[in-house]
Amino acid sequence: MLNGFKGVLYRELSLYKRKARKQILAASISPLLFLIAFGWSFGEEMSVGGLPYITFLIPGLITMSSLNQSYGISQELNISRFYFHVFDEYLIAPISPLEIVFGEALYGMFKGLLSTGLILIYSQLFSVKLTFSPIFFVAITLHTFIFSSLGIAMAMLIKEHRSQATLTTFVITPMIFLCGTFFPVERLPAVFNTAVHALPLTYSTKVIRASLTGGAYVPLHMMLLAGYAVMFFGLALYAVRRVEA
Amino acid sequence: MNDNSNNHKSVLKVRDLYKRFNDNVAVDRVSFNINEGDFVALLGPNGAGKTTTIKMLTGLIKSMSGDIHYYGESFFDNMKKSKSVIGVVPQQSNLDRDLTAYENLMMHAILHGMPKSSRKEKIDAALEFAGILEQKNNEVRTFSGGMQRRLVIVRALLHEPKILFLDEPTVGLDPRIRHELWKLIIKINQLKKTSILMTTHYIEEADKLCDRVLIINSARIVAEDSPETLKNELGRYVLETFNEESIDKLFFATREEAVKSMKDSECACKIREVSLDDVFLDLTGRSIDA
Repeated sequence: MLNGFKGVLYRELSLYKRKARKQILAASISPLLFLIAFGWSFGEEMSVGGLPYITFLIPGLITMSSLNQSYGISQELNISRFYFHVFDEYLIAPISPLEIVFGEALYGMFKGLLSTGLILIYSQLFSVKLTFSPIFFVAITLHTFIFSSLGIAMAMLIKEHRSQATLTTFVITPMIFLCGTFFPVERLPAVFNTAVHALPLTYSTKVIRASLTGGAYVPLHMMLLAGYAVMFFGLALYAVRRVEA
Repeated sequence: MNDNSNNHKSVLKVRDLYKRFNDNVAVDRVSFNINEGDFVALLGPNGAGKTTTIKMLTGLIKSMSGDIHYYGESFFDNMKKSKSVIGVVPQQSNLDRDLTAYENLMMHAILHGMPKSSRKEKIDAALEFAGILEQKNNEVRTFSGGMQRRLVIVRALLHEPKILFLDEPTVGLDPRIRHELWKLIIKINQLKKTSILMTTHYIEEADKLCDRVLIINSARIVAEDSPETLKNELGRYVLETFNEESIDKLFFATREEAVKSMKDSECACKIREVSLDDVFLDLTGRSIDA
């Protein structure tokens, strides 16, 4: 029954094992630079919403970095689909699209959670005090699931490899900077503020920040995240179903 | 046409398969049967619709109309079950170059639900069959073209399919490796009793290996029979007369008749055995390599 799921994970993890050191190193550089640039420079003197800036920043770095890692599987899927045709091996096998999507999504979550762990280690190195509530674990699971699913969907929906970079430039990067990762979305002009409330990252950042800094999270935000998770998983499933070699 | 209705069980039945890309008809109402143990070639020039046919039969692209049945059951209604009886060797290698030979086969074994207890043993046996057991832990990117081809073939056989699709299995390989692969493919058909549908545009390949040839041209099957019968229908020997701008061909049942005719001719001419290319030329008005 779960052959597809297990096969997909076997492949991804066998590949990951081989490049783990390089991948972990790559995933650890950019959040560290952000921490140094923004955390050290403004961290002590500036406070945002009653929190020292560096404490405000850590949850934002967690959502940013895990999004990059989870959504980043689209790049790998793309290469295996367009260049090496490895995806055909899945399509020929007696497995269902549901198993393929689940396997890839779990791999994306694994990568996202690994980068989350890295930033939590950084937070200790920078002596940032965080509180952990169960809400954090639910929210980060949903967050990484949402962006892994989106990554799968995009990798399957685009017609050629180059469109992937365009999508990142025009959608993913602006989203990462504007959805409350580095500053509260309330400071955005009204139009942008409305726009970013259509994006899941705004909600996952709010919930995760609240859960790590002792604030109260809004249950509606968590429900919206669950809604996005169902929607993007559905989109990924639809995309894999219609893919042809 | 020969519907090959001997006592063997039908593995694959294809009826009126049709596919169009925009305005181009790629496969036009193609029908044929494959029975247990058959070795069939789908022979035609590049762009005739061979690969599109294979892709539809293996679920890589969707047909627009027509029926595909594996062991009497509709492919579209029983996709998972049908896919478990087929093995596919695509024209372009789809091995994961960053994984080892062993890992590529293990992934295939898991995807096909092979029991855990026998996986390792069967993978080793497959690697030995392909002659690459010693390199099992090397990444595929380090393999030669011939080694990669052999690995793709044994991977397609790992789950013991009833029918193997080989899409241009020897294209781009040098003649020595091509002959090695032919031996491997014949062994698969004869020892493992696996039915084979092989696409090719190499005349010699279809002629030497297959017991039946489906000739495809411009998306349609124009003839179907054993290579021998197809050639005999034209005549065993051909007398080629070389003119300034063209070559005239006359066909004869025996060499003697051809020789007799040659004596009457004053032009430069040559007698040779009829090939499947002559059959193709006769059916379509062009050579398969043209």
